Amino acid sequence: SQPRTASHPDSDAGSVMSPAGCSHVNGFKVDNWKQNLRVIYQCFVWSGSVETRKRKAKSCVCHLCGAHLNRLHSCLHCVFFGCFSKKHIHDHAKNKRHNLAIDLLYGGIYCFVCQDYIYDKDMEQIAKEEQRKAWKLQEFCKTSGIGEKYSMWEPTKRELELLRHNPKRRKITANCTIGLRGLINLGNTCFMNCIVQALTHTPLLRDFFLSDRHKCEMQSSSCLVCEMSQLFQEFYSGHRSPHIPFRLLHLVWTHARHLAGYEQQDAHEFLIAALDVLHRHCKGDDNGKKANNPNHCSCIIDQIFTGGLQSDVTCQVCHGVSTTIDPFWDISLDLPGSSTPFWPLSPGSDGSVVNGDGHPSGATTLTDCLRRFTRPEHLGSSAKIKCSGCHSYQESTKQLTMKRLPIVACFHLKRFEHSAKLRRKITTYVSFPLELDMTPFMASSKESRMNGQYQQPVDSLNNENKYSLFAVVNHQGTLESGHYTTFIRQHKDQWFKCDDAIITKASIKDVLDSEGSTHKRTQ
Amino acid sequence: MSVALAVRARNYVAFNRSRFLFQINMSKESQMRAAINQKLIEMGERERLKELLRAKLIECGWRDQVKALCKEVIKEKGLENVTVEDLVAGVTPKGRALVPDSVKKELLQRIKAFLSQHST
Repeated sequence: SQPRTASHPDSDAGSVMSPAGCSHVNGFKVDNWKQNLRVIYQCFVWSGSVETRKRKAKSCVCHLCGAHLNRLHSCLHCVFFGCFSKKHIHDHAKNKRHNLAIDLLYGGIYCFVCQDYIYDKDMEQIAKEEQRKAWKLQEFCKTSGIGEKYSMWEPTKRELELLRHNPKRRKITANCTIGLRGLINLGNTCFMNCIVQALTHTPLLRDFFLSDRHKCEMQSSSCLVCEMSQLFQEFYSGHRSPHIPFRLLHLVWTHARHLAGYEQQDAHEFLIAALDVLHRHCKGDDNGKKANNPNHCSCIIDQIFTGGLQSDVTCQVCHGVSTTIDPFWDISLDLPGSSTPFWPLSPGSDGSVVNGDGHPSGATTLTDCLRRFTRPEHLGSSAKIKCSGCHSYQESTKQLTMKRLPIVACFHLKRFEHSAKLRRKITTYVSFPLELDMTPFMASSKESRMNGQYQQPVDSLNNENKYSLFAVVNHQGTLESGHYTTFIRQHKDQWFKCDDAIITKASIKDVLDSEGSTHKRTQ
Repeated sequence: MSVALAVRARNYVAFNRSRFLFQINMSKESQMRAAINQKLIEMGERERLKELLRAKLIECGWRDQVKALCKEVIKEKGLENVTVEDLVAGVTPKGRALVPDSVKKELLQRIKAFLSQHST
């Protein structure tokens, strides 16, 4: 191979860093150096297998003081481990004139002549490969389902070219308003506008569309996913004038006939219809065949919004349980004040307080609604189920729990009552928190309770079931004539109210005091 | 076997002899630390803890804060002259102070739980 950095002279300190590294590695790059370097990475830096881990555990200590911390480095020229912080490796380098060492924590190569870490292309390549190999061997790779170690985006040659030819940059500061844009009402279309605002501020969905991840396979120009992609471009373009979503409206009318027409529609229905059409239009590799089975779909909609709802039907006679799991995109909750009784909770449900909400006593909370949703429900003598254990019809209880939580959960408070006798809007105030822990409503929690296990203290620190509120859709008015608006979270603690074309700053108090017919949370 | 490998094998033997000598001199506390560290590495728990810590520090915004501190050091020293040591010296004390107590608590609890499960 050619000598690298021929134009850079050797210097004692502060040499100019070239992307190829420094010239002092040339002494190391002889014979079978690549394989030797790999062995060092495998044994002492990223030990993936059980034996390499054992060896690393025993041998990676400083030869001078025995410490295993202090930024331990290994000499690249001989078997010597020394602390960096205590300069033990520096002493070794000086005494033996061994110029290169490797950081055992992060794998960086240090050159004692340049007195800095260097980034030799060949060595970086080897480091990357060994790290990836070790990652794959780790256990958490299998349990958490993460196949590849996350590596940061690096621009390709083409992308570098594009960046050079287009020098204008948009900077995202803490207070910038990029992503906020009003939507013109095209005639009672606030039901659509409010949901569009929520979707364009769903972080994962935004990232998906802004990185152009949709590959369209539809022949016609009526792909709703393409239109969403376009919509995201409009929202994040930096334009401040309200956007006119006429194309979106037309596509919605085409694909969801039941929502067509100029009368006021239901925002929640629109959300479900939109997710359904988007899911159908996301024709990925395996998606075409499995489009009818939401459980196995890998489209972005399913990845973000689909959860699994477990339904357990217990026979009252033989106590056999029949379990089914159905996919869901939203959790529709009954409210007190509807014609079906809300209180008291059925016996056997967990009555303890799970969220320290601090709401005024008597006010219903979202957690109350969820507890009611997941309570065991006696099905009554008129609704006997055929039990496969008893081989006859028996009375049973049914209980719903969450088997698998979606990344974004949509909670729908059923404010519109359409029963045989009356159609009305339930305006009961339901308080909801900024942070919600779904652990008590999980199927796994129910099993632990039934087995008499206490929840491990570590579990309460586990963030897997915790959600953060990011969008709230509100309906003002009556069933006959009303108006939808949305609160969305822009940065961590900044909220804005979206009222068709008008966007205004809102306080967290405004958000939490609102009615909240539909709200969305992300993990 | 290449020359390089032969050299390594010879030094490895020498290393083992000297290691035995200084291990006796280590204090009880550092012996215990070394033993815990060994256990964590052997069982792969150290890697898991590293990943957990990484995720927590990103989540709570610590990484962004430290990034900002690094940028300050780079501005001070100048992009052409700054070394990793400049960054380490300039950022470490503040960076350590910025780690939230909740993250420290969680990691400690994880380690305690691991040790109680695998005590010999």
